[in-house]
Amino acid sequence: MRFFTRLGVLASVFIGLAVPCFAEKIVVEGSTTVLPISQRAAEVFMDSHAGADISVRGGGSGVGIASLIDGTTDIANASRAMKDTEVQKAVDKGRTPKANVVAMDGICVIVNPSNGVSALTKKQIKDIYTGRVSNWKDVGGSDAKIVVISRDSSSGTFEAFGELALDKEKVRADALLQASNQAVASTVAQTPDAIGYVGLGYVAPSVKALDVDGVKASRETVLNGRYPISRPLFMYTNGQPRGLAKEFVDFILSAEGQKIVEEEGFVGLK
Amino acid sequence: MKKLFWVFLIGFWGVMCLGARYSFASQVDILLQKLVDKDILTPGEASQIRTETEEEAKVEAAKGKTPGLPDWVRNIKLKGDFRLRYQYKHDKADNNVASDTSVGRVRVRVGLESKINEKIMAGIGIATNSGGDPRSTNITFGDKNGGYSSKMDVRLDYAYAKYLPFSWLTVEGGKMPLGDVLWEPTDLVWDTDITPEGGIFGLEKGLGSKATVFLKTGPLFGTADTSSNSDPVMLYLVQPGASYKFNDRVSLKGTFSLYDWTNVAGTAFPTDSWYKSSNTKNGSAWAYNYQVVSPAFEATIQEPLKALGLNVESLKLFGEYVNNTAVSDKNTGYAFGFQLGHAKIEKWGDWQFKYIYAMLEKDAVLDTTPDSDRYSGKTGMRSHEGAFTFGLAKNTFLGVDIYRSWNINGISRKAPETLVQVDWNMKF
Repeated sequence: MRFFTRLGVLASVFIGLAVPCFAEKIVVEGSTTVLPISQRAAEVFMDSHAGADISVRGGGSGVGIASLIDGTTDIANASRAMKDTEVQKAVDKGRTPKANVVAMDGICVIVNPSNGVSALTKKQIKDIYTGRVSNWKDVGGSDAKIVVISRDSSSGTFEAFGELALDKEKVRADALLQASNQAVASTVAQTPDAIGYVGLGYVAPSVKALDVDGVKASRETVLNGRYPISRPLFMYTNGQPRGLAKEFVDFILSAEGQKIVEEEGFVGLK
Repeated sequence: MKKLFWVFLIGFWGVMCLGARYSFASQVDILLQKLVDKDILTPGEASQIRTETEEEAKVEAAKGKTPGLPDWVRNIKLKGDFRLRYQYKHDKADNNVASDTSVGRVRVRVGLESKINEKIMAGIGIATNSGGDPRSTNITFGDKNGGYSSKMDVRLDYAYAKYLPFSWLTVEGGKMPLGDVLWEPTDLVWDTDITPEGGIFGLEKGLGSKATVFLKTGPLFGTADTSSNSDPVMLYLVQPGASYKFNDRVSLKGTFSLYDWTNVAGTAFPTDSWYKSSNTKNGSAWAYNYQVVSPAFEATIQEPLKALGLNVESLKLFGEYVNNTAVSDKNTGYAFGFQLGHAKIEKWGDWQFKYIYAMLEKDAVLDTTPDSDRYSGKTGMRSHEGAFTFGLAKNTFLGVDIYRSWNINGISRKAPETLVQVDWNMKF
């Protein structure tokens, strides 16, 4: 009898604590590039959806995808498409990865408006940023030392630029590191021989965006994939998103969500 | 609706053209561009459809390579480890007679877990074991379970079913891995090899993106109810807890546990060789019950030495305290320590150092549960433990664990014990 009395007490405690917890919870994990979009979107979403519980964490695209395959996350943020080996592994484990493109990432290479150079190839950009080229005259400009501006290594833009423009080679050691897109744009605007890179949303009249491989950076060329330093950003789910995961993905694709995308410096799909 | 039609049409093309993935892609590109030109789709929507269709084609292609096994078979996860150990022990008995022993030991554990359906999981695990010891899965080379005279024993280590009706609720029953039953920052109270039997309700709820609260509670069996003359030994566990992430680098986790062991007083203690009696006894039975309260915490700091230019991945500071409220004397214990280095040992060069100071009075906890390596698993002791682990290659690591322990039960010679364990561990 004592056993059942204690069991009853335990059950009461449990139920008492459980009652306020009927909220649905999802975990969003993965790319640090997509992280700021997810975090802000989750905050805004939870403000307007009482009871919704969205746990957002970084770790990188590979970590998010691995968690989706293992079933420990509901949404895997990724700044790259899943590799064929990852897709196969997921399918072998009974998962059906569904790619949900939520934004595009386009990185513009900018110079001071006084600079005579208006276009570079991807190879020239890589040569400048990895230290093989240090003078503007080597890429069709005047005889002046190139002042290389980069984002600091903790930034998602730094990571994306390294992957898309530098083939993952290291940025030269004498590059001046800035903590934000805005700081890069300001420095380039005030330094005649500077070169920098920023998200498409940060290109202002005070700087000049260079054509890359003959393609002008614009919303259209980023969205149609012609601009070489661009990529889609994903939220992968296991199958079609359902429940709270669906509501959250739908929210990010809504006008309000896409506004957040743009405010975070990425290119919205709408 | 018109847009939906085109999306459907492109998706249909995608399925029809799986055998020719790349030529299909270019045809979709042309079609999408025409739809953009006609203002039916925005460039962004076209890009979204193009990419998602390509990804869907990859999934369908992968499915074509997978044989038609049932989901529960494809959802099986296998895991296990193999450990070789050299162990040296030097101790002095109460009569001041020293003893030195050196043994080789082996441990093998294999487990699998399968997702039966979206809400039910089941798992089983087997492990080497000597004489049914609930606190160890080691077998000593040449001992009664090995050597030239017999094969080694393998026993059922755990077997459980887990029901997850909601994302915040887990109901589990069976013989369960300790980590499913409770959280602990050190093995002061519970040896990590113990697999409790019974049922556990687990509740976990996130409070925003930084805080999580959780509760583990349920009845666990100490002995079976097979006699009408006495009630079985039961443990009623209630462990509420919370974790909070201050920022990307600093987080804190804490619990306040109640371990209510009932019907222990008067129950005969085990006579097996693995049992090291150290609680107060009344003849051949335990003298007291154990109603233990135990607050515990663990703080984690990522990159703790970044300011000094040192690349150390994480630092953990932890501690726990126990008090057996069922007795008034020799009823407390505590442990505290730190862990520095990589959070997980996964590859060559990963390392971890851990230090724990522990003290358990004679009747602070039931003497069948504390770490079996710390003063042979007895209560009434104090102990220093230092452990260093180094990654040798992927999933392979070397460990050195040293304990120096003393008896604190008022015996003049303190019966010191030094235990050195050198492990080669392989995980799969």
